[in-house]
Amino acid sequence: MSESLGPLLQLNAITKKFGATTALDAASFEGHAGEVHALMGANGAGKSTLMNVLGGVVPMDAGEIIISGSPVQIRSPHESKALGIAFVHQELNMLPTMTVAENVFIDALPQYGGLVDRDRMRKGAAELLERLGSRFSPEQPVEELSTGDRQMVEIARALARDPRIIIFDEPTSSLTDRERQRLFAIIRQLKQSGVAVIYITHFLDEIFHISDRVTVMRNGQTVGSSAIAAITPTEVVRLMLGEVERQERLREPHAAAGKPLLSVRGLTRRGVLHDIGFELYPGEIVGLWGLLGSGRTELVHALIGLDPIDSGELRIAADSEDRPITPKALHRQIGLVTEDRRGEGLLMPLSVVGNLSLASLSQLLSPLRLIDRRREQAFAEEIVARLKIKLNDPRQAVKTLSGGNQQKVVLGRWLATGPRLFILDEPTRGLDVAAKAEVLRLTTELATEGASILLISSELEDMMRVCDRYLVISRGRIVGELPGGADKNRLMEAVSGGHSTAAAA
Amino acid sequence: MKLSSLSLRAVLLDWGFVLVLCAIFVFFSLATAHFLEFGNMIAMLHTMASVVIISCGMAMVVMTGNLDISLGSIAFLSSSIGVLLMTRLGWNPVAAFSVTLLCGVAFGMLNGFIVVVLGINPLITTLGTMITLRGVGLELTQASVIPLPEGVRVLGNLAIGPIFVDILVMAAVLIAVHVLHRRTSFGRQINAIGNGAEVAARIGLPVGRLVFLDFVLAGFLASIGGIVALLQVGSLSAYLGAGLEFTAVAVVVVGGVSLFGGRGSIIPGVLLGALTFQLIVNGLTQMSANPYVYKLITGLVIFLAMYVDALKVGRIHAPPAAEAVEDEPA
Repeated sequence: MSESLGPLLQLNAITKKFGATTALDAASFEGHAGEVHALMGANGAGKSTLMNVLGGVVPMDAGEIIISGSPVQIRSPHESKALGIAFVHQELNMLPTMTVAENVFIDALPQYGGLVDRDRMRKGAAELLERLGSRFSPEQPVEELSTGDRQMVEIARALARDPRIIIFDEPTSSLTDRERQRLFAIIRQLKQSGVAVIYITHFLDEIFHISDRVTVMRNGQTVGSSAIAAITPTEVVRLMLGEVERQERLREPHAAAGKPLLSVRGLTRRGVLHDIGFELYPGEIVGLWGLLGSGRTELVHALIGLDPIDSGELRIAADSEDRPITPKALHRQIGLVTEDRRGEGLLMPLSVVGNLSLASLSQLLSPLRLIDRRREQAFAEEIVARLKIKLNDPRQAVKTLSGGNQQKVVLGRWLATGPRLFILDEPTRGLDVAAKAEVLRLTTELATEGASILLISSELEDMMRVCDRYLVISRGRIVGELPGGADKNRLMEAVSGGHSTAAAA
Repeated sequence: MKLSSLSLRAVLLDWGFVLVLCAIFVFFSLATAHFLEFGNMIAMLHTMASVVIISCGMAMVVMTGNLDISLGSIAFLSSSIGVLLMTRLGWNPVAAFSVTLLCGVAFGMLNGFIVVVLGINPLITTLGTMITLRGVGLELTQASVIPLPEGVRVLGNLAIGPIFVDILVMAAVLIAVHVLHRRTSFGRQINAIGNGAEVAARIGLPVGRLVFLDFVLAGFLASIGGIVALLQVGSLSAYLGAGLEFTAVAVVVVGGVSLFGGRGSIIPGVLLGALTFQLIVNGLTQMSANPYVYKLITGLVIFLAMYVDALKVGRIHAPPAAEAVEDEPA
């Protein structure tokens, strides 16, 4: 270990604002040569932004960067590379029709007499590939390689410049187990050769497997840094999520009774979801609780047919029996509120009236089968009143509303169709405290009226105010169930407890 | 390791255009009397020389995923200026044609500037320059036919033995551009941009500068092609280069250069593409076929080539990892 030499890299008090949003708030980071340093944090915590500052992709507003004891300026990816920093991005930058060797050297092609020195290029690539334990030929076109192999090419490109610092951003998201082990072996090799490795991830088990130190970020700040040996997974989760304040419950936990509205059995999608099974009862709010990458969104997509499934059965209560239902058919019967309300929930330039009536147009037609504007207006006004949506005129474009009110419009659209089942994926994302409370209150009202609600949120405080019970999901499996009254410690342990064992070989 | 590149479908897609070319060649050889004669072959190569040269420039632009439909107009205007310098100001041909080449570079720079600096879509840009430059040329020449001075006209039929000089010029351009594309940093990076301009930019390639130079190259080659065409006809007409850019696109696509960018070759691609079209024209003429049949067949060939292009590009997605073992859960 070269700890005695002092840090190779220091990021001190880096601040970056994008408009009104503070992405980095005096964040700091220290990296040592020959050390694997994990950078963890929830979505939006700032870890990618901090590394983008180091990589020259994003300029910082304030702070300093010190490499090997000297302060430096990094204004472009070019300058970053010149300082010996290599960045392996999450999205691979591949040139599919060109060969592996060309991909590795494309930004620094070896020359001889004005022409590209193909021999040197091929040899150089072969050497790097051998170091990485890859068996494919440098002359192969990249489009023939699997994702894992392409990542090896990306790493080879990073290593071709002999970097002192190498950043991996979420490198394992699309790898098979075997490819992941290979990546870890390479990281250990890099560590041994004295490179400072920075490893951004949201997979808890990986950092305990591969890294020496961990730094946790939250809300743009560095909230903790520790040697891996001196910290537990639960503590890491606690740092990531922050102090969960106990807030008043909006509704006491409701015990499910009667027959389930929806039963799911054996839902599997190879590599993503494993044998998922659960039930949703009328009138209850079930929280799907898991960290980023646990498979929450994938589960929702599988349930409503946006992604294919390899096996599994869904059954829905109809009249007095239950019958099987396909995910696509289920999609038509539920109210869905997604994380991405701009992208998937609302038609921004369209009016509030237009957005609200969208799912119910067939009920608002005149005898001539054209949309009856007056009925549509009345319909919209009723929902606006019921949900207390703040606006000047229902005919204004929905993009002019605040985030919270936009979310209410999405909910309001579905309310009118009277679904028995709601799936709410991050419904309070980006909302201020008052708006959050209103959306949560609405959720409890829906449940009281008899709907089943599956609630997904990374904001534990919100879930703890409304959930009747929790399904804990991790790595694509349901690993446990907790009652609605569970306290934050139990919840945090449940989601980190599954990660203490090393990944299977 | 799966050798997908040997699958029948892949082979057909990559080399189909050669098979088509051979089929056309055989057909016309059998169907006509004089098609297969040496004199006819030479005449064909002679005729297609200017198309090939301009298509090389077009191919380099298409390699980045862009398009330049002003090349025929660049050929026309730059040649017009050269001719006018010779006929009205009495310049000698070397000086006049040097100016022509400079004009080609300048007009290429114009395209490059509008696309890269002003950020305007290349198709719209070159549509604009196509119309504008031809308009300027027509104005300058009053759309009249201007015969070349006696001494210059002779150059059009210059030959070394049975081989016309412009065939040698065509060969030289083909080889030079091929080497540029395959063996220089510029060519490789141009190809990289065709794979994905954003990816290339993220990797750190100077995309703007490269695309600009690419348009300059195309303009330069267009002016050379214009001179060759001019010398073959012996006089400047308002039709010089008219529609040539579209022929060039057709040649390039049929020759296997993908309009999506990043795929294809100069040799044999552009050469075989040009040969295909020239064979069709020549063969149909020998058969005394209805001249409108040519357009129909050309259209069909282009359509087929584009369809094949789309099929090929669909192969870009990564195959799944070859492991047969079921993944162990973490």
